[in-house]
Parts: sequence; structure tokens; C-alpha cells
Amino acid sequence: MEAILTRHLDPAKPLGLEAYRAAGGYRSLAAAFDLKPEAIIRTVEAANLRGRGGAGFSCGLKWRFRGLDAPRPRYLVCNLDESEPGTFKDRHLLYGGPHQILEAVIVAAYALQVERAIIFIRGEYAHGAARLTLALAEAKAAGLVGANIDGSGFDLKIEIHLSAGRYICGEETALLNALEGRRPNPRHKPPRPSVKGLWGQPTTTNNVETLVNVPHILLNGADWFCGLGVNGGCGPKLYGVSGKVHQPGLFERPMGTTARELIFNHGGGLAEGRTLLGFLPGGASTAFLLPEHLDMPMDFDPVARAGSRLGTGGIIVLDDASCPVAIALNLMRFFARESCGFCTPCRDGLPYLEQILAAIHAGEGRAEDLPLLEELCDKIAPQSFCAFAPGAIMPLTSSLHCFREHYEQHIATGRCPFDAANEGGA
Amino acid sequence: MGMIRIDGRDIPFEEGDNVLKAALAAGVEIPHFCYHDALGSLGACRLCAVEITPEEPDPLNPNKRPRVMMACLEPAREGLELSLSAAAARGAREGVIELLMTNHPHDCPVCDEGGECHLQDMTVACGPPYRRYRGRKRTFPNQYLGPLVHHEMNRCITCYRCTRFYRDYALGDDFGAMRLRNEVYFGRFQEGPLESPFAGNLVEVCPTGVFTDALFRQHFTRGWELETAPSICPHCSVGCNTLPGARDGTLRRVRNRHHPELNRWFLCDRGRYGHQYSEHVARPLLPHIAGETVSYHKAVAAAAEQIKVAGAGLGGLGSAREDLEGNALLRALMTRLNGGFAAFSDPALEAATAGAVSQHHKAPSLVEMEQADAALIVGDLTAHAPMMDLALRQAYRQGAPLAVLHNTPTPLARLAATALTVSPREMGAHLSRLSELVADPATGSGNEAALIAIAACLTAARQPIVAGVVETLSALEIAALAQLTTVLGARARLTYALPGANAYGAALLAPTGSSTALLEAVETGRIQTLIVAGNDPLGDTRLGSRWLAARQRLDTLIVLDCIATATAEAADILLPVAAWTERSGSFVNYEGRAQGFAPVFQRPEPLPTITEVITDLAQVLDLALPDVAAVLSDVFPGYQAPAPGAHGAAIPVFPLPARIDTVSHPDRGLDHGPWQAALAAWYGDDPLASFAPALMELTPAVVARIAPVAARTKGIEDETQVMLRGPAGTLTLPVQLDDGVAVDTVALTRAMLVQLGIGHGDPIDMEIIS
Repeated sequence: MEAILTRHLDPAKPLGLEAYRAAGGYRSLAAAFDLKPEAIIRTVEAANLRGRGGAGFSCGLKWRFRGLDAPRPRYLVCNLDESEPGTFKDRHLLYGGPHQILEAVIVAAYALQVERAIIFIRGEYAHGAARLTLALAEAKAAGLVGANIDGSGFDLKIEIHLSAGRYICGEETALLNALEGRRPNPRHKPPRPSVKGLWGQPTTTNNVETLVNVPHILLNGADWFCGLGVNGGCGPKLYGVSGKVHQPGLFERPMGTTARELIFNHGGGLAEGRTLLGFLPGGASTAFLLPEHLDMPMDFDPVARAGSRLGTGGIIVLDDASCPVAIALNLMRFFARESCGFCTPCRDGLPYLEQILAAIHAGEGRAEDLPLLEELCDKIAPQSFCAFAPGAIMPLTSSLHCFREHYEQHIATGRCPFDAANEGGA
Repeated sequence: MGMIRIDGRDIPFEEGDNVLKAALAAGVEIPHFCYHDALGSLGACRLCAVEITPEEPDPLNPNKRPRVMMACLEPAREGLELSLSAAAARGAREGVIELLMTNHPHDCPVCDEGGECHLQDMTVACGPPYRRYRGRKRTFPNQYLGPLVHHEMNRCITCYRCTRFYRDYALGDDFGAMRLRNEVYFGRFQEGPLESPFAGNLVEVCPTGVFTDALFRQHFTRGWELETAPSICPHCSVGCNTLPGARDGTLRRVRNRHHPELNRWFLCDRGRYGHQYSEHVARPLLPHIAGETVSYHKAVAAAAEQIKVAGAGLGGLGSAREDLEGNALLRALMTRLNGGFAAFSDPALEAATAGAVSQHHKAPSLVEMEQADAALIVGDLTAHAPMMDLALRQAYRQGAPLAVLHNTPTPLARLAATALTVSPREMGAHLSRLSELVADPATGSGNEAALIAIAACLTAARQPIVAGVVETLSALEIAALAQLTTVLGARARLTYALPGANAYGAALLAPTGSSTALLEAVETGRIQTLIVAGNDPLGDTRLGSRWLAARQRLDTLIVLDCIATATAEAADILLPVAAWTERSGSFVNYEGRAQGFAPVFQRPEPLPTITEVITDLAQVLDLALPDVAAVLSDVFPGYQAPAPGAHGAAIPVFPLPARIDTVSHPDRGLDHGPWQAALAAWYGDDPLASFAPALMELTPAVVARIAPVAARTKGIEDETQVMLRGPAGTLTLPVQLDDGVAVDTVALTRAMLVQLGIGHGDPIDMEIIS
């Protein structure tokens, strides 16, 4: 397919304002100002643009729910706090094309008629944030951000905020707390952020990849956008492929591309003599899919029907030399470490799971550990305060289901069959 | 208003209640940790799981099962049905306890909290009785947080109550939550004593043994071994309700006792930790005659003899920190014997208190102060009535603007929308000007921006509160505050920090002018025998040296007290008396609310109360003295002694003649030198608490504080040594520049003022030495 989102990305030397404009950049502003905000929202909804941050919620529906007459001031937050393991798409957008992000934020802000947009960037992406800051200065100087943008009568302030750290800042309400200078614990809903968000005002949060689709939808129409997808999907998708493949990387493909194509055609397939054990379709907070799912379209609904989640679309590939127990342990160690520490089930439950997995992996597991893991998973996920712990539990529950015999073997033999010296994930 | 149903039992709820709050109010014990009535719902601990019964079959979700929700986050609504006992809810709670127990040190046998530990109660009620976690426990180092609060972080269950109280409720900023995951740490950002005057509440707010009473630890006993009784705090005029605990004839600790209109859940650190005077090594316990220990009966006999000899030359000085009963009976004795009576050693303070008391009908309760939508504070309220500060912080949290006029540094200035330092000699004029600006804002001029802002703020408010500190205001200034409140109208409320737990009661018993009359009578030799009950005239700031000189003219000084004050040390006959925790009595607080306290314990050698001493004296003198109840109902018609543990009752007040006698209030406008002294008190500062060593460790630095602006024009810097001169002595001190001090003002502690023999607002000589 023709590159849409990645056409003008160059992490080595991203396009400056002039070059970006020459390549067709910022044309969507005029298209947006021609339509009314209501029409933009309808178009985005018709294009079936689903959130690329992990939840896959309809972007147009989210925008419509906030309401056109929400009390002012209102805010738009662009979530660039990419921290999901196996996910590096937003980094590529940031380092490779800051102006594409700004253009997207401006038209989204216009659609939502917000006064202020904040781009919240993962702290480790400081260099990318610096580039974005330069791009923002260029855009301001050119009158593309600020008062009366391009004579439209629309005023917009854009701010760039560098996160002070930790995965939980990617959770919408925790992100808002972080922006307010509070500890980034999630907030209770209701009220929803679209009603009471940043500083108590209506706030809309979208992932950066979601937003960068919007200018293209406005320029080319909802039908065009839908036509870009395959197998029922809509629009392009930035898929990541990493793990046990020859050519890990980021690939812009039609939404709905099969896992087989992504892993074998684009990712270069597995190492010589290795077979596929399974794969996580979209980052660490998803359930494993197996070789029998290779022809599944990597789109939200098909993956959900199979009991997993598309999430961020960052596929992590495991082969038959990977120890599933070690992988589950590695993931749980990450989640236990990233827990914000607010609620008991997550804060104290995830380390408990980690401890059991570590014991099993080290050959000190007991028969009762497997039902114990399942019992704890059943209690931790539903009682937690936010979606973090359920996301942490999902790969473990799925691993116990798909690879149970590996756990049983660790327990029965008292050692890791793969490589005793291989710690924390093969 | 409505009903919810919990396991088949109907529970009423108020509009806006969550299920947990309604259940707890009805006595249904839904297990919980992080919820607290003062702090609200959080939803972090996940212990308050209840199972909600779906209302009716849901056509969109025919398999809808009952869902488990957290009671603290579930709004109560009519017809809501839920179960505490359902298996899913019980399983959820058991799961939470098991998880919390993975890291808990299980050190109950050596933990101070054992026996009164909410975690113990919840674990036994909800948790699994066995342990299957085989992993390591996460552990923490502990911090030194000062002499009052002990820190043991391994016991933490991360309920966040401590930081929500300390930062969100009390607006402290040196303590809080740090880190994340299962290593969340509650501590001070830098090790050292906690700065908040309310830090001790961590001990009661923490549901485990992370924060415990460091003082109680020093002479530890289990909570269930303590004798307790409802009591009233004796350390200031707010009259917080307390629950002291004693064992084996010694007072061990003081805890909060809920009063719905005053202190609800919290105390200040002065009230919580000031009790060490009770067991102080220097506490007078044995009667003395001329320094020699004698039996009680011998001392009473000797005192009676001196009283007889004095004839009509008898005087009695009661106290604002002694109860209504003691003061009233002493006055009755004086009346019977034609002696003079006063309750204040400083006539200026007597007049100021009388002025404040005469305006009692406008006094708001602490809860009403929390609901103010604007407040003007005159003086360092935090030091003189700390819980009033905490109440106004709640108003501030709701958006009420605070305005502060102060001579010396005060913590509320940091929160104030407008804070103005005002030297003592300027205060009266500022207050009068405020009344004028409220009455007619148009008269404001360009250089009065701060006062104009304050006036506008108070005028715009629907329930403004004006608060003053009597000890640092003259009677004239108090009249000016009354005038301001009158001009603001009926919606404005007026409150004062009075100089003592029973200053209100003392003022009712000792009319203005009695202090001057008594002092002059002693000075001129008309009084030969003076009985002082619970007062320390020799330790007064302004008049201490005058009383000391007067004392030389006395034949006999008889002192009744429970602390070793300067006056007690100078007594010819010393009769130690029971402290407030060892007897019953009543205090009248700043509102005019009479509250009773009950004896908590008896000392191994019980001490008499003031009323018992006076009764015994009367008996030896063969005088027919009415009993205390009769005396009190004579003074206050219809008076009923308030029952300890009840909420207290307004004391009937007859109009007080608040005569402004200019002789006893030096007009501070007529001044001699460039500098004025100002009393810089602090929240641990009161006669009883000065005998509490742990609290006294937190005494602010011994320096003379001066405003930077004023200092630099005179060549004074930080650390400059200055010599201060007063009628009674001199002092050499280093200077500390502090922009919370008014110009031309030197902020000095009470002890320094006593040494110099000057009072708040008096002129002072200051000379630079280096």
C-alpha cells in the first residue's frame, strides 16, 4: 500500500515547516475550517477511526459524546506517553514527523473547539519532544498555532509536556493528575473526563496515532479512509513486529492485515529451524494468540472475538525456544514495577504473582501454585481501581491457558527445561 | 433522604451519602480502611466490597449477575439492595487482607497499636487465617519525625489516610507520599520533626501501627489497661473534648473524643502532648511551709491561721486556667471574709477578655468556622487556639479567602489572600479603618489597597468570620473588632482565642477592675494574705516584676497549683492540688459553652482539688460556706453543671460592663522609642505545656525576630547580636530577619518578655552589639 502516515517520516532528519508544506502538509486546516466542527466529527465517525492507544474506542463517538456545548474552557490532550512493551509506533511519529502531529492536533482541536491542547510525551522521548518544540515554534511563527489561525477565527494554544515518568501516566485520568502536578494515580469515574477532566473541565484525550489519521480523513473523505483497510478494517495502521523475528520493525499496513503477513512477510519470519510458539498481538496487556490464529486479521473486533485485544498493534513474537513461564514472569515483573501503588489488588497482588512465577521458573514451584495463580488472577482483575491490573493479568491468564504444560513441566521437573541460565525471558 | 437495604436490613441515608457512610452511621460495620469521615472516600483499599443485587432483569444483559462494588464509591439511592455477606463480597475482602498480609511484619506483640488496631480488627473479621505467600516481604527504613510521632513503615497498608490528613486536610507540606508500586512511602521529605501543629493526629488516623504516639511509648501500656474518662483539654479556650488515659496512678496519654460541633476527629499537638506536666519530675506533690514539707492538714491549719490573722486584709487570685468550681468557691470565700478577688494578674488582659466575652453571642462553633466563606484573622490564631486555625483551613479549602493582620509570624499568612503585618501600635487604627471602609468603601485611598481588599472581601461574603487573639489585643482593639462585625451585619460572626481554658468563666466571675484593685491592695499593704489558685502573677510578662515587688509586702502568700510556676516557688504555703485529669470540674470555652470533665484516675497519694482545699479552710475557720453547686447557681441563675461526655451547654451570661478603662490599657500610640515588643507565641506555648519536655523540644529558636525592611535601615542583619532592655532585666540575643514581623516590632517569646518585664505592645530598647 501507499504510505499515508509514514510517507514523510524521517527520524534522521524530520521535515521542517517549509518542506512539510511543500510536501502537502497543513492543507487539512483549510479543509477543516470549511466544514463545521459537527461535520468533522460526523466524518471521523463515519470513517470508523478507532483509538490507536489500545482501547480501540470509536474516535468520532468519543468526540460526539463530549457534546458541542460542553462548558468552557475545554482541553484536548494528545497522549504520546507510549510505554506499552513492544510498542514504538508513536516514537516513530514523534521523531520522524513532528509537523504531522501538530497538524493533527490543530484540526482535532478545531473539531472539538477547544482553547488549549496539550501534547503529553513520555519522558524518555525527550529528544523527540525537543524536535516537536522546535516545530511548534515554527508553526506559531507561521500563524498556524495561536490566535486566529489562518484567518479562521479559531484560537488555539498548544503546549508540550514531558512526563516525569512511569507507565501509569499513559492511563487517561492518571495523565490528567500528572498534568495537574499531582501523583499520577488514576481517578474514579464518574465523572468522566469529557465532563470533568483537566482542572475540572471537559477534556478529550486521544492517542497520537489516532489523531494523525484525522487530517487525511478530512482531505480524502471517510469512504477513502475505510477503503484503505482490508478484511473489514478501516484506514492504515502502524504495526510493530518485534521478538523472535529476523527484521523487527514498524510497518504501515492496511488495518486488518493478517498476522501471518506481518510476521513472515514484513518481519522476516522466524530463525532457521524455529517454529512459532505464539504471539501477543498488541503489546504486553493482551492475550496470546497461537499459530492457528496466524490468518486472523489484526483488527479490533476479530482479535477480541478470539479472546485477546489488538491493543497497540505491537506484535511480540515467540518461538519454540522461548520459555512461556519466563515470558510471563518478565511481563509480570514489568507490571508489578509499574503499578502506581494506589489500590491493594494491583499494588500487592502483582508482586505476589511475580513471586509465584519466579518460584516456578526457578524450579521451586508447587502443584498448588497453578490453581493459586488462577485464584489470585480472578480476584485481582475485577477488584482493581483502574484497567492497569486487568491488563497485567491478561497475558498471565492466557499463558496459563495456552501453555499450561510448560508450567506443569517446570513444577514436575524442578527446573526450567529451556535453559537454566536463561533468566527473565528468552 | 431515603432507604437502602443491606442484607435485608433497612438503612437510612442522607442526600449525597455513599453506601459506606450511611452504613457506618447506622452501625453496620462494613469493613474498610481508606475511608474516613473527615477525609471522604478514596477507593484505594478495596476492602469495602459489597455485592449489589441487580434491580430488575436487564433485557440487554439477561445473564446479569450481581456485581461487587466498593461501598465507599457507591452513591446511596432509594431502593438500592446490597449484601455484605454474599460470597463474592466476602471473597473479595478476604483477598484484600491476604494481599496486605504478604508484607505485614506480624509484629503485633511488640507493636504499640495492638489491641486498638483497625488492621487487626479487619484482618480477624475478613481475612484468611492462614498464610500461603512464600515470598519476601518488602521492608522500609524508618524516619525520625520528631519527639511526638514514632514511625514504623513496615506496618503500612498504603491506605493514604496519613497524607490525606496531613496535606489535604491540615494543609501541611513537609510530609507526604513518595515512590510507587508496593514501595509507596509515607514520610517527611527531609528527616526531622514534623512541622504541622496537628501532626499528632497521624497517630489516630493511621489504622495500623505506622504512626504511633512517641510519648505514650516512653511509659507504655496496652490500651485496654488504661483508665479513661471524658475530659476537656485545659490548654486553650477552644475546649476540645478529649479522652485521657491513665494507669497505675500516672497519666499516660491524651486522645481525641468526638464532639459534633467542636473538635470532631482531631486535636492539636499541644492538647495531645501537653499532658506531660502531670508526671513532670518537678510537679509539686507535697505541701510546703517555707520550703519545708509538711502534712496537708498542717498546711491547711497554717493557711487558716494566716487568713484569720489577716482579717479583712485577705485577697484571692483565681485563674483563667482553673475551673469554674475552683474560681467560684475562692470568690465565695473572699466575699464571705470581705476580701478582694480577681481572676487575672494583668488588668489589660482582664479588660480585653471581658470585652471579648461581652460579644459571645456571635461566636461560631468550630464546625461553623469551617463553613465561613471569608475570614479576617487578627493575630497569631494558630499559636493561641490551634484548632481554630484548623477549622479555618477547612474554610480555605472550600475557597474562602482569608485575610490576616498580624504583628508576628503566623502560619495562616501563607494561605491568606491578603496578609498585612501591623505593628501593635498601629493595630487599633487599622481595625477602625476597616470598619470605615466596610461602611463606606468610597472613602478608600490609593495607599490602602490591602485594607480595601479585606473590606471588600468581608462585605461580599455571606457568612464571614472575624477572629481575634485576645492576648495580643487591647480592649480598645477588641471594641473595634466588635464594631467591625456590627457594621458587617448579622451574618458576620465573631470569635476570639481567649487566654485560658476557662478564661470565659473567669471573666464572668471577676469584673473589670478587680485585677487592678487586687494588685494595688497588695502593693499598698491593705492585703496581707493572698491566696493564688492556678495563677502565676510572678510569671506575667508585663506585670511580673510588679507582682514580685508586691509579694514582698505580703505576710503570707498561699499558692494552690499543680505545676511549679514562679509563683508556686515563691509561696510561703504551697498546697499542691489535683490536675484536671484527677478531678471533675467545668470549663467555659470561647463560645460560652460550659463543658464538664470527669476524673480519669487517682494518684497513689491523691491530691485535693481547689474546692476541697477551700472547703477545708472554711471548716477550720468555722465558716459556713455554701457548697460549690449552690455558689454556682447563685452566680449563674438556673445553672446546671454540664455532664462530662455530653456536648456542653451555654452558660447563662449577664451583661458584662465592658468599661474601657484607659489607665489599665496604656495607649500604645504614645510611644517613646522606635521599637515595640510583640509576643511571638507558638502552638506549644501555654503554662501547662511548658512542663511537657517532648513538646518543648520543638520550641522555636531563641532569637529576636525583626522585619527585614526595618532591620536593614538600622544596619541589622541575620545573626547580629542585640541587647534588649526592659524594666526587669536585659537580654542579649541574635537577630533573625523574618518578613512575618511588622515594622518597628521585635518579636520575642513569652519567656523573653518575662525576663525583660515587658508586655505585648510595650516599648523596648534595643541596642546593636555586633
